[in-house]
Amino acid sequence: MFDFVGKRFPRHDGFVKAAGLAEFTFDVEVPGMLYGRIFKSPYAFARVGRIDTSLAESMGAVVLTPDEVPDALFNPRLLSLEEDTFKDWRVLTKTPRYVGEPIAVVAAPTEDAAQRALEALRVEFEEVYEPLLDPFEAMSPGARPIHERIVRGRRWVEVRNNVAAEYGYSEGDLETEERRSSVVVERRFHASRRYHAQLEPKGAVCKIEPDGSLTVWTTTQTIHNTKILISQVYGIPMNRIDVRKVPLGGGFGSSIHTNLVTLIAVGLCLKAGRPVKLVLTREDDMVHDHVGFEFYMRVRAGATREGEITFGELENTVDIGAHQVQAYPLLGASLGWFVSLYKWRALRYYGRAVYTNKVPSCAIRGYGAPEVTWAVETVVDEIAEELKVDPVEFRLRNYRGRGEIFWGQGPTVRSVIRSDGVPELMAKCSELIGWKTRGDPRSKSGRFRRGIGVGRGFHTSGAGGPLSGAVIDYSGAIVKLNEDGTVDYITALQDHGGGTLDAHAKIIAEELKVPPSRIRIVWSGTSTTVYDVCTHASRGVFVGGEAARRAAAEVKRKVLEYAARILDAVSPEALRIEYDRELNDAVIFVEGAPEKRVSLSEVARTAWQRNWGSISASVSYRATVAPPSFTVYFVEVEVDTETGIVRPVRVVAGADVGTVVSPELAAGQLHGGFSIGWSWATGDEVAYLRDGVPAHRLSMTDYKIPTVLDLPDDERFTVVFASTYEPFGPFGAKGLGESASNPVIAAVANAIYNAIGVRFYEIPMTPEKVLRALRGGG
Amino acid sequence: MLSINLVNTYRIPQTFEYYRPESLREALVLLSTIEGAKVVAGGTDLLVDLKFRRVTPRALIDITGIGELRSIGVGDGYVEIGSAVTIQELVESEVVGRHLPLLAEAAELLGSWQIRNLATVGGNLCNASPAADTAPPLLAYDAEVELVSLGGSRRIPLERFFAGPKKTVLERGEVLRSIRVPLYRRRAGWSFIKIARTSFDLAKVSAAVLLSLEGDTVADVRIALGSVAPTPVRARAAEESLTGTGFEEAVALAPELVAREIAPIDDVRSTAWYRLEVAKTIVKDAMRRAYERFLRVGAAP
Repeated sequence: MFDFVGKRFPRHDGFVKAAGLAEFTFDVEVPGMLYGRIFKSPYAFARVGRIDTSLAESMGAVVLTPDEVPDALFNPRLLSLEEDTFKDWRVLTKTPRYVGEPIAVVAAPTEDAAQRALEALRVEFEEVYEPLLDPFEAMSPGARPIHERIVRGRRWVEVRNNVAAEYGYSEGDLETEERRSSVVVERRFHASRRYHAQLEPKGAVCKIEPDGSLTVWTTTQTIHNTKILISQVYGIPMNRIDVRKVPLGGGFGSSIHTNLVTLIAVGLCLKAGRPVKLVLTREDDMVHDHVGFEFYMRVRAGATREGEITFGELENTVDIGAHQVQAYPLLGASLGWFVSLYKWRALRYYGRAVYTNKVPSCAIRGYGAPEVTWAVETVVDEIAEELKVDPVEFRLRNYRGRGEIFWGQGPTVRSVIRSDGVPELMAKCSELIGWKTRGDPRSKSGRFRRGIGVGRGFHTSGAGGPLSGAVIDYSGAIVKLNEDGTVDYITALQDHGGGTLDAHAKIIAEELKVPPSRIRIVWSGTSTTVYDVCTHASRGVFVGGEAARRAAAEVKRKVLEYAARILDAVSPEALRIEYDRELNDAVIFVEGAPEKRVSLSEVARTAWQRNWGSISASVSYRATVAPPSFTVYFVEVEVDTETGIVRPVRVVAGADVGTVVSPELAAGQLHGGFSIGWSWATGDEVAYLRDGVPAHRLSMTDYKIPTVLDLPDDERFTVVFASTYEPFGPFGAKGLGESASNPVIAAVANAIYNAIGVRFYEIPMTPEKVLRALRGGG
Repeated sequence: MLSINLVNTYRIPQTFEYYRPESLREALVLLSTIEGAKVVAGGTDLLVDLKFRRVTPRALIDITGIGELRSIGVGDGYVEIGSAVTIQELVESEVVGRHLPLLAEAAELLGSWQIRNLATVGGNLCNASPAADTAPPLLAYDAEVELVSLGGSRRIPLERFFAGPKKTVLERGEVLRSIRVPLYRRRAGWSFIKIARTSFDLAKVSAAVLLSLEGDTVADVRIALGSVAPTPVRARAAEESLTGTGFEEAVALAPELVAREIAPIDDVRSTAWYRLEVAKTIVKDAMRRAYERFLRVGAAP
């Protein structure tokens, strides 16, 4: 059906990455460049007095202190409308609110000199306060305010009880629905903090050009929002800032926002008047820069005896750490995930985000969906068990599928579901894992017990919708045909390493009928691209890919117009275009007239030679829907009841991504998604000592993520793609990214229950906790 | 605690002299004449310690260029392993595979490929981590270590080499030259079991067992454990009690006996309670696996 979509091609950046030639932020070298090093707060909550920079300066270093950065508060993330953006950050602070918060920064000609200068800084702490590390303690009356007032949009708001943001919603008549229910289950869940463990530590290189404009290379999922924020914070016009796109070594949400290190590097560069490189070490990155959100949830849900879900209630307290990145939209998105999972006839939601004196949390793969899905899928499993209904049947009866409203990222991002592969995936995957033979936990004995669990979930494909909503979501693409018929694709959209831009190349190839090898993905910057909001919300293929397709379609329209001139056709509508394998080019022809044929390269050359002008298109595209990509995980685990160790035995991962643009990369996403979910379900957590110091202070020695040896190999990991077609997606494609991990924790938790008959309401489910539970310690 | 602003793992925070002598004597001279000199081999522990400022040597003496420290040899009734032999060399050594399969099994579970290619057995022992993967098997084999200095050499049991977490009895000017492992004369089964968070991690708890039977009676058993005490330990009292008992009885008794000889603690990787419980389990498991191997070894020609 397709010439290029769904087929396998070498990745455009495969060789340079494998050969170590790709230039990441760390690799950027600018003549005369200084190295920066940040002075971080050793205290979780304190007030800085005098900062003596004289010794460091006498060593030749440039020092930037809190008094020298712009005074206005900001929020590093610009995805929400301004009135929904809560600002409580400064570039450098005199009131550090977590261990590691940047207070000052030095620059010197070498990393060594910078470190020595840093050690020469004398920072006086006027007061050191007892840190608030627990959100419930932070909310208690009399607790010291972590922030007294912050800015929402453009006005000051008071912070009460350290509650950073709240979100309430209800629909339907909960009391009536509850009365109608024959089963009601209520559970409390706790999902602890995790580190993103993205491959590349954050960093930035900043340079002042001869004309005074700024060039910035940095780890980011969004170059345009980085440009805008630099402009807002430092008052520099946007056309004087070029944020360059460089390869990104993974994001998982950690660079959705403009990293603080980027803003610090800019400030330091401006003061020094020289280029500056500021790159975090792995330890800086993981111990002091960012983590995911910590959730405390209460879920209550009911169903009738006939197996129909009645109502659902979710109370959600999120420990966000010391600053807001996207606390408020996260509360809305959590509601969206909750609502979109099942057909609640009535629902109630209350979410609140709470400040604590810990490293600020930011989006992490799934943006609350893995946690909410885990909680809901556990409760749904329990309801099904009580009703003695097969959990798969129960889900199929009650989930939100085709024709229902899907909430995407919250109440303002609604659209109707048009493609839905859940029934197909449930049938195929349950068959493959042997669902019917899983047995009852009460019938299992022996030391090693196996269990099978199911988790169903989804993620949105972007944050588009028919109405403008509270989230900014649109993409841009420029496609340009060169004079020899090769294609330049110029986009601001960032590929995190998963192959998003390879998918775009195939989409452009499919539209133009030229092979993907003809298409160059141009490394560009904000000066040379049109706006793209961010690669997040699993939108890269669905939104960005459709922008690319539309630009290619516009180019195709012009190609056909010029071809009509060349071929003397009455109009472009008389022409067909197809891929010619022999020429390895697109050919344009008149059906039934074999002599009326011209290659796309010839059209490009002719347009140049005859002065017809460039064939190019610049497109800005907003999706009017945000369709769910559904995923279904069936996981078999084996629990060693004498060590508490849980081992993944087999995984069947089903994904409804519409048309699969790159099957092998999509399968890779599912393997990666499982790995992350498995890590969250059973691995390490980011814990804090009493003084607010992270317990894993030794970095990767003390905080582990699973390796390939800890996960099922290809033979024990089956990927199933649904045969769906999304009418709004490029060639029928939807997103994947986050949906690849969203239901994993749920499936693993349900599998553990099926093995040993114990339900866990706290993740990670470490061997220590599993063994304790098996020995009757709860 | 070290201030967070002093850690920058892009660099080693101090300068030091670096020597790579080609003879042991040269190394010993350097070590005894330079105040604050420290021996380095693979550096997989030392470089981390340097970056985190846990050690501040004035000079590093790299012993990996000393040929005699890099060989594995068979003597009369023993295998002698040079201290600078890498972990990967242990894994691939035919001598180790044939005579010290318990050590080979543990070596293969140490770190990652990259670490095994750099790290040395001497470094693993001198770092004196309670979690050192090569320690329990070497303890089980009754290994001795040869410590040399300009003043001469001494040989002591490995069991007396460890003085506490990160502490050994090495004196100033002394270098661990080799590990001498007496050949285990009996037909034996063996097993090393390591419990860790991932396949690339330090042990939460580990156990090494050497087992020999006469009929179904335990003729000799050696049990050593890692990460459950200030040093890697032999469970000598348990071994003594289990010798002469029937195998099944020994398996039933071993966990509680071993538990009396260990004192695990809570840390970032696990808890004392878990370590104790799981030490009991894996001692049983290791005994059973050793038993199966014992039977198989007997069946082979």
